[in-house]
Amino acid sequence: MSHSITFTINGESTTLDVEARRSLADVIREDIRLTGTHLGCEHGVCGACTILLGGQPARACLMLAVQADGATIITIEGLSDGDKMHPIQKAMHEAMSFQCAFCAPGFLMSTVALLEENPNPTADEIREELSGNLCRCTGYQSIVDGVETAVRIIRGDES
Amino acid sequence: MAGSTQTSGLGFVGQSVKRVEDERFLIGKGQFVADVMPDGVLHAVFVRSPYPHATIAGIDVGEATRHPGVVRVFTGQELNAVTQPFVPLAPQPGSYTPIYHAMAAEKVRHIGDPVALVVAESRHVAEDAAELVVVDYDMLDGVGSIDRALAADAPQLWDRADGNMLSDATDTYGPVDEVFAAADRVVSITLDSHRQANQSMETRGTVVEIDKVTGHLTVHNTSQGPHVLKWAIAAQTVSQGRLKSLWGFMRNTSRRKAFFRAANTFRKANKDDLKGQDNAGMKGQLKKDRSLLRYMTRMGFGLLAAESFPTVTSVDIGGGFGAKGPIAREDIPVVVAAMSLGRSVQWIEDRVENLSDGGQAREERFHVDVAVNNDGTLKGLRVDALIDGGAYPAFPFGANLIGTLWKVYMPGPYHFEAFQLRSRIVATNKGRVVPYRGPWANETWMRERTIDAVAAELGMDPADIRSKNMMTEDDAPAAFITGPTIDETMSTRKTFDRALEMIDRDQLARDKADAESRNHRIGLGIASYHEAAPGPPNFADSISPGSGVLLKEDGRATIEIDGRIVMYTSQVPHGQSHQTTYKQIVADEFGVSMEDVEVIWGNTDTSQFSFIGTGGSRGGPLGGGVMRATAREIREQVDELAAEMLEAAVEDITIVDGNIHVSGTPAQGISYADIATEAAKRASVTAGPVFDVDLKYEGVGNGGWSCATHVAIVDIDLDTGQVTIPRYLVVEDCGPIINPAVVDGQIRGGVAQGIGAVFYEKAFYDDDANLLSATYMDYLIPTAMEIPKIEIEHLETLTEGENDFRGVGEGGMIGAPATLTNAVSDALGVQVTTQYLPPSTILELAGIISPD
Repeated sequence: MSHSITFTINGESTTLDVEARRSLADVIREDIRLTGTHLGCEHGVCGACTILLGGQPARACLMLAVQADGATIITIEGLSDGDKMHPIQKAMHEAMSFQCAFCAPGFLMSTVALLEENPNPTADEIREELSGNLCRCTGYQSIVDGVETAVRIIRGDES
Repeated sequence: MAGSTQTSGLGFVGQSVKRVEDERFLIGKGQFVADVMPDGVLHAVFVRSPYPHATIAGIDVGEATRHPGVVRVFTGQELNAVTQPFVPLAPQPGSYTPIYHAMAAEKVRHIGDPVALVVAESRHVAEDAAELVVVDYDMLDGVGSIDRALAADAPQLWDRADGNMLSDATDTYGPVDEVFAAADRVVSITLDSHRQANQSMETRGTVVEIDKVTGHLTVHNTSQGPHVLKWAIAAQTVSQGRLKSLWGFMRNTSRRKAFFRAANTFRKANKDDLKGQDNAGMKGQLKKDRSLLRYMTRMGFGLLAAESFPTVTSVDIGGGFGAKGPIAREDIPVVVAAMSLGRSVQWIEDRVENLSDGGQAREERFHVDVAVNNDGTLKGLRVDALIDGGAYPAFPFGANLIGTLWKVYMPGPYHFEAFQLRSRIVATNKGRVVPYRGPWANETWMRERTIDAVAAELGMDPADIRSKNMMTEDDAPAAFITGPTIDETMSTRKTFDRALEMIDRDQLARDKADAESRNHRIGLGIASYHEAAPGPPNFADSISPGSGVLLKEDGRATIEIDGRIVMYTSQVPHGQSHQTTYKQIVADEFGVSMEDVEVIWGNTDTSQFSFIGTGGSRGGPLGGGVMRATAREIREQVDELAAEMLEAAVEDITIVDGNIHVSGTPAQGISYADIATEAAKRASVTAGPVFDVDLKYEGVGNGGWSCATHVAIVDIDLDTGQVTIPRYLVVEDCGPIINPAVVDGQIRGGVAQGIGAVFYEKAFYDDDANLLSATYMDYLIPTAMEIPKIEIEHLETLTEGENDFRGVGEGGMIGAPATLTNAVSDALGVQVTTQYLPPSTILELAGIISPD
């Protein structure tokens, strides 16, 4: 059975008819065609589908789209201003944080949430906060470096 | 972006130039296979066996077919009837490779074996309908371990095999019996490594688009080797008989001529390799199963008669680590579904499927005897190795690859007077064994673990044993006992010496004492290895005579009529940053900025044939090598034309930032567009490339060894069994580095997988072969909390070769398990004999808890 839902995604209000059983991730990817949100495990462990829901990181694979009725959502596509990167994206580029980058959208969204809450995390805090996202390529050091670079850029130590 | 606006004057090679790939990845604009989504695409879901081993008595798809939204349900039998099976391409002597179809129609051999395919308007509907397919299974006993596979009363997976033995090969180098008889003593150890899974973050998948008018197939796929997939799809979907195909071929004159022309070119280009090949393996195979001939001729004639071939593309791939090299069985049925329905169909694997049959590796056992003298001199090595090969052999490579590489690599960088390897592959009711980052890696684990055990027995420091027996570049041009030549790049000893310098033994002793006061134990582990990346010219022949024919790399470079430089690579990036590093290489050759170079990859219509694609650490030495070689050839042509246009000598032509000029007079320069315009005028062409170079590249004479020594210090908490790694050091030598940040990333990622392998990851099966690790709650991928900072020290041994890049992608994974298990052995004062060391095993080894 379909339900009409409305949410704001990357600043745009969107109304959709969705089946109750469909996940938010599927609706974002297939109906809205924002394919930057990736599905790695579909059981809430890998974190590749992390989005911001009301400013908080959420696993889009574990949520039903109908649960997002009325919500404000930001996906990886909403982080940059067109092709102009957000400071965190810029930092990850600078630090060469990723390789295959399938996990990157999730890490970026988790990092946004982390730095909102704690603008000056230690390396250990970064590792702990990002331990809900899996990366198979990098061994994580370059991602931690990317977060530290982002902290410096946001603080204004680096442009 | 910072990187790509750097000018060519600086030289891009050698710098950590920022990745151009990130410009799309970081803003969510990557194009992974699941992002393709053609309009109206149908969704395919496989019905899979819930049992490890059973025969199929019947299958009822009636209710599933009637389910609203379902377009068609195919049984395995229906799909197999119109497809050809996977057949062995290059069987090894002493082996039997089972021939099998994409689907399980009569018998299932592991949990997850596909028995039917549901195609529906949505993924949800297809999954619902898959639940409605009723399969009547008659259970058989499962084979869940090597021991069970070898037991006299074991159920047999393949009727034509000898029991469950798929391969039994012995290779002997030097007088083994004499060396063992003469040595002071023989040290023996049995080592077991466990089943691991490659686990890229993106699962496998295929999206088959069909042109409604022409029927042409475009297959978007996650393949590391799309050309092999293209030919496999073409061959395995041949459904007509041999005679009909042959008749079609004979009547098609242009096709016939093209075929014989191509065959002749191939034969001439590979004369020596083809002459060297022996067909003992194929003869053995045919003795067991003559159906191979029938299938091969049907596929061969079918290919000859084919009017068109599919296009296989892969734009962005979310990691592979070897698992996306072999062809997914699922790829064939999805193509058949698209062909028979005349509609686009996609299959995107889910993680549970991926953990059950997305590729597993490394379940191996080694009985090792080492002949040594009491002064620590290594004399002889004798290894009896067993590989748990799982149920189905991967195509074209899988478990069959491992033994052939072991026999060449196993003695490692050490001097042995004699070496013998018996390697056997047994079939079990488990997922497919695929190449996993350094598919042969356990030779290093086995050897380096054994050396530490020898040291313990002799009461020596393991570092002293290594030091005493390690060969060096000074041994060049001698050959290793197993065949390949030692050359100036064999710098394992240099990496070892540098690693020792970087360890503060006094500090370590203090740390050990301090740890004991906290009920912790600290230990040091070292391991050294070298890998052929790409290896000396005789490396391929040492594996199997004539196998070099499969290892060449083609490349193409063009300058288009508007002056754009376009490079075509057969490499298939899935995280290795080929686009960036190739732009670096080529921009330097042409004296332009990286933005002026376009790199084209990921489409079988535009890239030349490659048997491997990306794999085997070939991206730098061969992929990068052919980029540089083709660029140089065009650059020479550009210089010649520029010299004419500028009325100067060729050797005076300089190009800086795209300004082609006579040295000293940059103001009178011309551009690549000017050169292209002139070239077009002379050739009277108005479109297409004006310079075009196509090269076959073997890396011969420019290749060599990639070498490293790893060091780990582990800290073990005896209260919990938890292991942390306060220090991990890699000293490596992959020759001149194209992009240090990329190389460091490859090394760290490989080490991280090694850490996962030893402390966290295990593909668990019970004795009956039931899979116990089908989700990420059970298969533990290490997180940022478990992987420490990894120190890396580069030695960049240079050679005279024109192209000196050496591979580095696999090394981290090769060195880490040996280094870590050696460190745990040192910390606990025991000899570790299993590669998997979760906290419970650590506490058992420490004598704190009992195994029961």
